[in-house]
Amino acid sequence: MLELKRALDAKGHCLLEMPSGTGKTTTLLSLIVAYMKAHPLDLTKLVYCSRTVPEIEKVMEELRKLMNYYEKEMGMEQNILGLALSSRKNLCIHPSVSKEREGKVVDGRCYSLTASFVRARHAADDAVPICEFYEGFDAHGKEFPLPPGVYNLDDLKEYGQTKRWCPYFLARHTIIHANIVVYSYHYLLDPKIAEVVSKEISKSSVVVFDEAHNIDNVCIDSMSVKITKRLLDKCSNSITILETTISNMKENDSKRLEKEYKRLVEGLRDATIARETDMALVNPVLPSEILEEAVPGTIRTAEHFVAFLKRVVEYIKTRLRVQHVVQESPAGFLRDIHTKVCIDRKPLRFTAERLASLIRTLEISDLTDFSPLVTVSHFATLVSTYTKGFTIIIEPFEDRAPTVSNPILYFSCLDSSIAIKPVFNRFQTVVITSGTLSPLDMYPKILDFHPVIMTSFTMTLARPCILPMIVSKGNDQVAMSSRYETREDTAVIRNYGNLLVEVAAAVPDGIVCFFTSYLYLETIVSSWYDQGIIDQLQRHKLLFIETQDAAETSLALINYIKACDNGRGAVLLSVARGKVSEGIDFDHHLGRAVLMFGIPYVYTQSRILRARLEYLRDQFQIRENDFLTFDAMRHAAQCLGRCMRGKTDYGIMVLADKRFSRADKRSKLPKWIQEHLKDTNCNLSTEECVQICKRWLRQMAQPFSREDQLGISLLTLEQLQSEEMQKKILQRAQGV
Amino acid sequence: MDDYQTCPKCKTTKYRNPAMVLMVNACGHALCESCVELLFAKGSGACPECKCPLRRNNFRVQLFEDPAVDKEVDIRKRILKEFNKRQEDFPTLREYNDYLEEVETIIFNLVFDIDPTNTNKMIDNYKKENKDITQKNRNRQSQEEMELEELLEAEKAQQSEKANLYVNAELEEKKQKHKAREKLIDELMFSDADAKSIVASHVQATAALAKEQPKVAAQPSSVVVKSSKFSSGVQIGLRGQHTNAFLPIPKQEDLPLYRYTAPVFDYDGPPPPPIEKLGKLNYFANIRAANITERAGGYTEAMSCCRALQEALGGLFYSPQLTHKTAVLATNSSTQDTDDMETT
Repeated sequence: MLELKRALDAKGHCLLEMPSGTGKTTTLLSLIVAYMKAHPLDLTKLVYCSRTVPEIEKVMEELRKLMNYYEKEMGMEQNILGLALSSRKNLCIHPSVSKEREGKVVDGRCYSLTASFVRARHAADDAVPICEFYEGFDAHGKEFPLPPGVYNLDDLKEYGQTKRWCPYFLARHTIIHANIVVYSYHYLLDPKIAEVVSKEISKSSVVVFDEAHNIDNVCIDSMSVKITKRLLDKCSNSITILETTISNMKENDSKRLEKEYKRLVEGLRDATIARETDMALVNPVLPSEILEEAVPGTIRTAEHFVAFLKRVVEYIKTRLRVQHVVQESPAGFLRDIHTKVCIDRKPLRFTAERLASLIRTLEISDLTDFSPLVTVSHFATLVSTYTKGFTIIIEPFEDRAPTVSNPILYFSCLDSSIAIKPVFNRFQTVVITSGTLSPLDMYPKILDFHPVIMTSFTMTLARPCILPMIVSKGNDQVAMSSRYETREDTAVIRNYGNLLVEVAAAVPDGIVCFFTSYLYLETIVSSWYDQGIIDQLQRHKLLFIETQDAAETSLALINYIKACDNGRGAVLLSVARGKVSEGIDFDHHLGRAVLMFGIPYVYTQSRILRARLEYLRDQFQIRENDFLTFDAMRHAAQCLGRCMRGKTDYGIMVLADKRFSRADKRSKLPKWIQEHLKDTNCNLSTEECVQICKRWLRQMAQPFSREDQLGISLLTLEQLQSEEMQKKILQRAQGV
Repeated sequence: MDDYQTCPKCKTTKYRNPAMVLMVNACGHALCESCVELLFAKGSGACPECKCPLRRNNFRVQLFEDPAVDKEVDIRKRILKEFNKRQEDFPTLREYNDYLEEVETIIFNLVFDIDPTNTNKMIDNYKKENKDITQKNRNRQSQEEMELEELLEAEKAQQSEKANLYVNAELEEKKQKHKAREKLIDELMFSDADAKSIVASHVQATAALAKEQPKVAAQPSSVVVKSSKFSSGVQIGLRGQHTNAFLPIPKQEDLPLYRYTAPVFDYDGPPPPPIEKLGKLNYFANIRAANITERAGGYTEAMSCCRALQEALGGLFYSPQLTHKTAVLATNSSTQDTDDMETT
């Protein structure tokens, strides 16, 4: 809180690492809300970004508790409006549209019911269907602001149902004057969406990125484009649709096209772009000076533009017809496209804008078909706008199946700071926080910003409730490692198996294991099967495996939880960087031990990664090895953190790789884990590890009540106000 | 991929004959290579689809999936050779954009055979009118192209430099580590000191080295890439001729010559008498004449007298309620009165 307050006072950015389960969310919310109440002019809004819908819901729950507390203590209604925003898919209450399961389809159908021209048509002809909820909102909702309170997604839907207003547009409209907004990263980071949703958020806001250990990857993904052969074929189809629609319109209603043309000649920016329902197509970030210029003459008329698109698509098709991997810079691509099909840089830059305008003019209501074309137009615009920080990689086939031709063009962003720069520049305070951000100094480097505060917090614990250990060798003294050279070694695989079996025999309830990749997981499990380790394991616990299929994995998870709940005990084998490692908590008996088999390095042969490493090295002076280790360790820490979700929880963390005990790896673990990792626990064999486990578990199994924590990790009001404690707090505030 | 490509004449597909190559000519219809050889044995003939007369040596390998695009690109390249004006050749962006659209229309017409006579006329007209500019522009690159070229060159240079540097740095590092280890072993073997203290000092030394490492790593970044420019900013090498490293010679604008028009003052009062008439109207009677020294500088008594009169009369009709127009009207009507006053 102290550090956060300092950052708010300094109006700078900060980077905080707080162990999970210690009330990170509550701390952030309560301090920022209090600050908002104390300095209503300096701080007007809190934007809280989280990753998934369940996490958003959790934040809303915390906020509700906080507000209830305020009400109880202050004895009056609080004038604070907090709300959650999610996609149309999660907020739609239209009877038929909300039945759709895919987000894109919901967006498309919503657009076809609420676009301005559809509504105009409806006014003329009642047979054209529109969305009654949007109409209701449009007619009344804008005048009546949402009453203060805390609204999560369900509350919004309910409110919408009773008032017959569309909750999605209501939420989007309310963002402007709400005090607290909770939504997903993408609404702020993805330039395509941020332009529409978050444009009007004022400068004096605080932005919090929670669970932000992967923020650089989110930034990169939001600026990257992937083009496959199938996508291009779909593009060709939609271009033909465009052609026929244009010729139809020319015959029937040429006025509209002329109007659009005139507007483009004048170089005016589209007035309709401000209309909120027409947002389904938006352009990626462009420097504003370009947007002010007129659309170049080459793509001004509709036919010319369609021919232009056709050429772009055909050109990319020829590029995909390669036999070997090609890597080139945007500049090289631009030159090539100029010589091959005579396309200049400038019209390319306007492609996205022009396509959006054309689709609006043609009044095409079903947008789902056009998403491939939109992707290509974004690619064209990005490639011609940015010459630095991007690369183009064309792979004719996947590395795993070199005989099957499956050409893919990756336009990949190498610089994660490009997408997040506007956020840092615009808001006075940006808080980046997560349970595992170590090593902290890497984030300012790769995101290119200057934090005023950068701290890693530890936990004050009444008992040593985590037990990190580094197991480096098996009982036969063969070193354990997932190094490439020893991967296939049966001795190493057997040692890993024995470790798991012995830990499974000693630890009650659930055990979660993480492997470095799906491939590695599969090979290990198959050889365990041959060695009979699986049979031994199943004597103690049930076995579940995470696969790449999401449905299968969630089924395995449900059964895993069931097995843990009824006391049978279970082992879950999963993969670092997979779904399990990112979003699912194994608190209490669900995860009494976490085993990390090997160091989860990324697949280093990937060309995109290589390009990014090179870029990082050249631009930010980050050495390849440093970045790889950083990336591996943050994922390892993320996996380990799964088992600790609070102070009453306890769990064993086993790092089974010799390389973890080296100083460069060990020092990159979060501080709250490092604190408990003693030197004596750094180079253990399987047997020693099991001995320590047993002793520790016996200690942990003692009843642990609230009274034990009092005075150490939990304070009553009297204790807090006692002189001794006050002194301690003061000392800390001055000492840091 | 492309298995479904078929020659329209002999119906061979790429799937059945992987060696098949499709060719296109000016009309934009595809033919496979063997058909071309068969049909155009004499060197010229008609396209089997549109009966357009074609020459054999104009056949080229089809690049794009859609032969129409091939045709369009072909025409485009031909047209753009002539229509190569740049934005610098136009006074406003608007005109440049209009020009671009015109070019696009011409190409569009040619591709779809719309109104060929008129289009060809337009092209011929343009050729005649803009012979010089076309010729001139052919020899110089546009600003944008130059920018791209420069970027590419810089990228290349940077890449090779950096790659070398980092490889060297890494080698160096390895060597040092190796040396340190050997030194330690030597010391342990031959020195009489306590083994523990030797190891401790070694650990210290490596830690100190490690601290220095970041500096070493950071250094290569500061090493400047081999310059391709003189200090004045002129590019080294042949391409320097084309870049506008020197200030461009100011363009002669075809604007009308400057003409002086006397400024009209709004005195908002009776017009003061002109400076030439002051003597006649006897204004100098009451003021001191300029002496010799004053006149040497070009000063005459008329100047100060005129200034004083202007100041005295200016703003006499000013009233806050009256708009500007009525004020002017008032001056017009009152001119006669003032004339009378002066004569009396």
